[in-house]
Amino acid sequence: MRLLSESLHDFAEATSDYPRLLSVIARRVAEIIGDVCIVLLLSDDKQSLEGTAYHDRDPEVARQYAALFERPLAIRDPTLAREAMQSGKPICIARLDIEQFRDRTTAESYELHRRIGAHGVLVVPLRVRNEPVGSISIVRYRPEHTPLDEIDVEVASNLANHAALAISNSRLLHRAQREIDRRVQAEAALFEAERLRRAEQDVARANRFLDAIIENIPDMVFVKDAATLAFTRFNRAGEELLGIEREQLLGKSDYDFFPPAEAEFFIQKDRETLASGTMLDIPEEPIQTARGTRWLHTKKVPILDGEGMPVYLLGISQDITERRSAEAQLLRAKEATEAANLELEAFSYSVAHDLRSPLRAIDGFSQALLEDYGAKLDGEGHSYLQRVRASAQHMAELIDDLLTLSRVTRAEMRGEWVELSDLARAIIAQLESFAPERRVNIVIGNGLRVSGDSGLLHILLENLLGNAWKFTSKRKDAHIELGVTEQDGGKVFFVRDDGAGFDMAYAGRLFGVFQRLHHVSEFEGTGIGLATVQRIVKRHGGRIWAEGGIDRGATFFFTLADEVTTP
Amino acid sequence: MSERTILLVEDNPNDEALTLRALKKSNILNPVVVARDGAEALDYLFSRGAQEGRKPAGNPEVVLLDLKLPKVDGLEVLRQLRADDRTKLLPVVLLTSSIEDQDLLRGYALGANSYVRKPVDFNQFVDAVKQLGLYWLVLNQRPPDSK
Repeated sequence: MRLLSESLHDFAEATSDYPRLLSVIARRVAEIIGDVCIVLLLSDDKQSLEGTAYHDRDPEVARQYAALFERPLAIRDPTLAREAMQSGKPICIARLDIEQFRDRTTAESYELHRRIGAHGVLVVPLRVRNEPVGSISIVRYRPEHTPLDEIDVEVASNLANHAALAISNSRLLHRAQREIDRRVQAEAALFEAERLRRAEQDVARANRFLDAIIENIPDMVFVKDAATLAFTRFNRAGEELLGIEREQLLGKSDYDFFPPAEAEFFIQKDRETLASGTMLDIPEEPIQTARGTRWLHTKKVPILDGEGMPVYLLGISQDITERRSAEAQLLRAKEATEAANLELEAFSYSVAHDLRSPLRAIDGFSQALLEDYGAKLDGEGHSYLQRVRASAQHMAELIDDLLTLSRVTRAEMRGEWVELSDLARAIIAQLESFAPERRVNIVIGNGLRVSGDSGLLHILLENLLGNAWKFTSKRKDAHIELGVTEQDGGKVFFVRDDGAGFDMAYAGRLFGVFQRLHHVSEFEGTGIGLATVQRIVKRHGGRIWAEGGIDRGATFFFTLADEVTTP
Repeated sequence: MSERTILLVEDNPNDEALTLRALKKSNILNPVVVARDGAEALDYLFSRGAQEGRKPAGNPEVVLLDLKLPKVDGLEVLRQLRADDRTKLLPVVLLTSSIEDQDLLRGYALGANSYVRKPVDFNQFVDAVKQLGLYWLVLNQRPPDSK
């Protein structure tokens, strides 16, 4: 009786834990009545019996019973459990004749009982409010165990009643719990679905953003699958370049669109890129399109997954056809220019040599005529011959100045430090030696140091100082200055004189070739000097401009780049 | 060689006449031999071809050499002179129209002693010739005859 009350207490406690309750029932019944106890319960649809708990002192035997009921029994199968549930009364076979038992149970059940040597079976129905819910089966097989009797049936029925009640309560609880779980799960699923929907929206938004970028990039953008090298993405610039709609292209490979050798080249570059794992730059590659052969500058990039394996190949191709032909044109133009320069060089050389020699003859023989036959000529004859000589010499100067101008343009630039002050002093000394009678105040700023070509800078100063010298020749007390000032943070050099000056209205014409603002009768010159000066300044990356007024002198300003680099 | 000969290598008859006139006006009365192209000049200097056994033998005092010459040009003449032991120390003045940097550089690189550009103004030309004569025929100590 003590065991019984303990059992009831256990049942009550285990109510909230349905699976544990069933195993407690099986264990208690097995301990109290023995040997094996099996709890079978009717399924919810009442069509089958399910084994829910097994107990025996020997776990191996319990396991064998569990295996027997692994598959639920159909309710129509012949079992003692069904008989007991239908009749509502316990069935007790105190001394089991295993052969007679054969017809009242399944083949597997018969086999198991025969094997373990079962000698007694007791099945009590589990009923809740007069409805069968299952059964408790007790099997005796241990030889030392006495046969089942009236008391066993009584105790078993009693336990079964309490067990049924506990099972019923537990089932209700279990069902309620399951319902709660189901609702919680449903809610969680709903929440998860919402989260998923939001994430999908985010991805879709990011994709649209990416699409918009890719779609509007002016270069062809394509993405290929790393394994098949089939196109998976393609943009509008690509469609326009190739003349192929993306619907035709996607899912296909280069072999479907391009000549075999060309497709082979593309594919080979794709594989190279994927194998190396880094970007590949293909500066020039031809491609056959609906508009004929185009030239591309392509970059191919492997797109890797989390483990560093390539999944896609991204390609960006710029159409360089026009640029390429422009470059070729430029190259041709450059070659033509170089050829023209060579021709010019040859021309200059022959001008230097061949044009000067007849001039020398004109001048020389005019002089010979004057010297040897001067007596036979009157004053006019002498004057004509002087004009012939003067013209020949002027033409020689023109030739020399033109050659200097051409040399200034063609000459290779040397970058070196040049002391403008020293150059200027040497030039002034030479000018003074030709006209020692002149009184000119010369001011040369000290330390005027620049970077440039000393030969060209010498020609520059020679012209500017020479001009100043020339245009102050009619002044008794002339001033000439070479200096430097600052303008916009840069050095501006200047050559200033107080000579004849010029009309600012014609300042724009000063630097043109053969442009003269004075008559030859006033000041001689060829009109090439300032054009030469301007070219030298330009070749030094600088600027030149002038300020002046008639009879108020002239100032020539010029800048030079900070550093002249040798080409 | 007692008479201090000047060899003028000049293909242009006008320039030849003017040079001779300038020499005369500068009171340079030395005999002048004129070669009208580079080949003639070399034949004279190396006493070969038409000039074989020429009289007087020996080197001139100075060679006035134009650069632009028919057949063998002035720079080539200079190169051959400097390559030959007999003439490698012979004073050679390049007398030419060209002031192209490259001609100046090549002329000096091949061993020219002077480089003079013929001016167009005849008076200046006479001045230049006078100075040349004064320097090469009077002031300059010629190298000992290599013979």
